[in-house]
Amino acid sequence: MTPTGTASNQGDTTDTEAEPHQLDEETFYGEVRSFSFWFEAVEGYLEGRPYGYDPAMPEEQLDQQHRERIVTTLCNYCVGEAAALEAASGMVRLAPNHNSRIFMATQVADEARHLEVFLHRIGQLGVQDPEAEVQRLAHPNIVAFKARLLELVDDGDWDASVFALNVLLETLEFTVFRYHARTADAITSQILDGVVSDERRHLGFGENTLGHHLVAHPDDRARLTEMKSQLDTLVLGAFEGAYDDLGLHRDQRPQLGRDYLEAVERLGLLG
Amino acid sequence: MSDIAQIHSTPDSEGSDAEPEEPRRRFELEETGFKEVPKRWRKFYRHWKGEGDSLGPNEVICPVCKVVIRSTREFRPGDRVYCMPCMSRMVVVRSDDGSLEAKVTY
Repeated sequence: MTPTGTASNQGDTTDTEAEPHQLDEETFYGEVRSFSFWFEAVEGYLEGRPYGYDPAMPEEQLDQQHRERIVTTLCNYCVGEAAALEAASGMVRLAPNHNSRIFMATQVADEARHLEVFLHRIGQLGVQDPEAEVQRLAHPNIVAFKARLLELVDDGDWDASVFALNVLLETLEFTVFRYHARTADAITSQILDGVVSDERRHLGFGENTLGHHLVAHPDDRARLTEMKSQLDTLVLGAFEGAYDDLGLHRDQRPQLGRDYLEAVERLGLLG
Repeated sequence: MSDIAQIHSTPDSEGSDAEPEEPRRRFELEETGFKEVPKRWRKFYRHWKGEGDSLGPNEVICPVCKVVIRSTREFRPGDRVYCMPCMSRMVVVRSDDGSLEAKVTY
C-alpha cells in the first residue's frame, strides 16, 4: 500500500488545516488560474533547469540512428509547440473573461518555453540549424493541423480553438510525451517530464472550459463533434508518425487515443 | 498491514448523503515529492506510481490528468474534490466494482 498518511501526536491539527477540497468554486478557479499559482508551480519543477533539465546531468552516448530518431521526433514536437504558442497568444484576445485571459497568458509562456527547450535539445544533438531542420522533417499532418488551428483562432472561434488546442492537441501531447519520457535518454526525459507537468494545466483548462460551456449551450455539441471528426485524423496521424520516428512497433505503442477519447466522451463529443 | 495511519475518527457527514453515517478516518499528509502546485498544496497530490501502486481510502485518481488526489479525511461518495494540477472539479462516486473514483463535474 502506498503511504497515504502518518500517525501524529499533534492532536486535531487536520481540522483547521487548509485543504483545497474545502474551497468554494470561485475561490478555487481564482487560485489555480492566477499568475502566482502558475509561477509557484513552475518554480517547483523548473528551478535550476534553465533548458528544462539539470545542467549537471551527463549526456548519454547515443548511436547515430538513435540520435536521428530523437531529432526527427523533437522536430515534430516543435511544430506542435509552435502551433500551440501561436494559437494561445491569439486566444488571449478571444477569451471571454479576465480569468481565462490570464490563464491563456500563462499558457503562452509555457508553450514558448516548450519550443525553446526542444529547439535547444535539437541543437545539442548536433543539428546546426534547428529551425531549418524542423521545417525539413515536419510531418505533413501536424503542419496541416497547425494551419487549421490558426484558422479557427483567426476566425475568432473561442470554443473551437479551445477544443482543438487544449483538448485535442494537448491531450495527445500529454499521452505521447509521458510515454516518450519513460523511454528517452535521461536529458530528453527530464525535459519531457517538465513539459508534461505544464500540459496538465492546459488540458484541464480546455476540458473544464468546454465542459462548462456545453452545459450552458448543449446545442454547440453537434458543431464541435463535427469539427472533432475533421481534426482527429490529422493529429492522430501526426502522432502515429512520431511513434514511427521513435522506431516503435505497433504492439509497443501506448493507446495513443485513449486519454483523448476519454476526454471527448466526458464532454459528450464522441459523435 | 497497511501503512495508512488513522489519527482519529470523528462524526462527519459532509458530502456523504448516500452512505451510512460512520466516523471518517483522518490522516496527516506528508509531502511525496509532488511539485506541480504551490508548496502549501503539494501534500494533497502525488504521482501515481503505476503497477504495484494502490489507493488509500483518502485518495482518488484524477481522470483528467491521472494525478492522485489526497485528503486529510477518508473520502465518501458525494465528496467534492479539486485537482489543482489540472484545475478540475470532481465529485467522488462509487464505481461498479465498489471502489471510489472521481467523476468530473462541469
